Amino acid sequence: MLSPKTYDVLLNRLNLGVIVVNSAFEVEFINHFIETQCQVNYSDSVQQPLFSLFSDLPEAWLKRKIQSVFVLGTPAFSNWEQRRHVFKMRHTRPVTTQSDYMVQNLSFLPLSQNSEVVQQVAIIIEDVTDTCFYQERLQDTLKTLEHTSQTDALTGIANRRFFEERFLYEFARAKKQQLELSLMMFDMDRFKSINDFYGHQAGDYILQEAAQLITQQMSRLDVFARYGGEEFCLILPQKNIMQAHQFAESVRQKIYAHDFVFDNRRIQTSISVGIAQLDEDSESFESLVTQADIALYQSKREGRNRTSCYKK
Amino acid sequence: MIDLSLTEDQRDCLQELVNVAMGRASDKLARFLQTFVHLRVPAIELISAQVLPQSFAEAYADQGVSMVSQGFYGERGVRGESILFYRSHDAQGIARILGYEPEEATEVEQLTDISSILTTTFLSGLAEQIDNHIGYSAPRVVTSDDTSIEKHLQQLSFTWELALKVDISYQVTDYAFHCDMVLLIPGEAIHSFQQALDNILNEI
Repeated sequence: MLSPKTYDVLLNRLNLGVIVVNSAFEVEFINHFIETQCQVNYSDSVQQPLFSLFSDLPEAWLKRKIQSVFVLGTPAFSNWEQRRHVFKMRHTRPVTTQSDYMVQNLSFLPLSQNSEVVQQVAIIIEDVTDTCFYQERLQDTLKTLEHTSQTDALTGIANRRFFEERFLYEFARAKKQQLELSLMMFDMDRFKSINDFYGHQAGDYILQEAAQLITQQMSRLDVFARYGGEEFCLILPQKNIMQAHQFAESVRQKIYAHDFVFDNRRIQTSISVGIAQLDEDSESFESLVTQADIALYQSKREGRNRTSCYKK
Repeated sequence: MIDLSLTEDQRDCLQELVNVAMGRASDKLARFLQTFVHLRVPAIELISAQVLPQSFAEAYADQGVSMVSQGFYGERGVRGESILFYRSHDAQGIARILGYEPEEATEVEQLTDISSILTTTFLSGLAEQIDNHIGYSAPRVVTSDDTSIEKHLQQLSFTWELALKVDISYQVTDYAFHCDMVLLIPGEAIHSFQQALDNILNEI
């Protein structure tokens, strides 16, 4: 059996905040944790109204919460994920975490002695700053990872993995809702020669600059990705083959007219484009890729720097 | 192998306990919300937790659903997890029922608050009748609109063996509000429940 004195010691050594209030929202008890974290002392605190002792409390919400415990006789809770802190307190990791205040989980427990009537409510405050800190770090890391796994490192546009994911989705959506959808694939002409003549860094620059130019021209719905090597692709939702052709031509002309300057040397380059559009016979998104690719090679065969549409 | 089935007497007894618990819960709620709370007599059903994912995925297939979970633990091995299901349109406007200002609490907080109130008032009413005392863990939203409910329930059904399904239908004055409550109970706790039911039956 513990003596009342030992109970007292235990309550004050707990690594939890304990505040007991009565039904008039007056403080009847605070433990040592609250004294130190809120910089108040016990004798000045008891019999004080809760809302004047602690400033900036969400009063209406907190009153309703405490009331529910008095009336229903059952506990209530508050979770940091919905409300980071209720009581403004310092925490034990001010240097390593970004939170200004202790992040808290709260439990509101009904206290009664030998009767069903709730006499007081105990507010238990748990410091979860650490949990919050690591959870947020994890979320940030996951976001970065997701971005990295979808992005082409050289050009900063989408990579092939992301293209395939999105194209699968756009293909299914267009089929289901009977929307138009076109795919454009293009290749930098004589890219190997540029690499051989001006060096690989010049080749990298061409890819980056071309990606930049096209990003400026595309519309919000379009998805632009590096397919591999010097090959790129654009998903063009809600565009039929005529509209896609018009867009492809403007892109091709822009690249051809652009001054690519590397190391004070002007490099002229062009692209060969192939486009295909979704129709009732399109069975899979792969078949559309194949069709655009066939059209692209037709452009190459016919002398490069041109746009071809896939014909059955 | 634990016999999960209840005898007819046990079932009747459980239905009665649930009715009384619901009555007490709605009584308390009416006082707290200061409004008339209409409560339909709850239908109870004991089902194997394994069939739960499918049956609920079908019932909620047509719309978004939010699930809120809360653990409970009592004396003599009574323990389990309570899950409340809300359809999207029921999840909105809970602030009004709770008497919060609309900007005062997020929708998730409103959901956890109302769930905690429904679960704890009901279970405490049930516990009183079987001479038990129940503690609770904090409620958590385990899924919202865009996650598959079936996936979540499948994970749960690994942990629990039996589910007591209680259909709650609350109507608060002019505001109709409906949610389903499911109590998931592990095998050995069902023993405790059966024992408690037998004790009551023997007293009659």
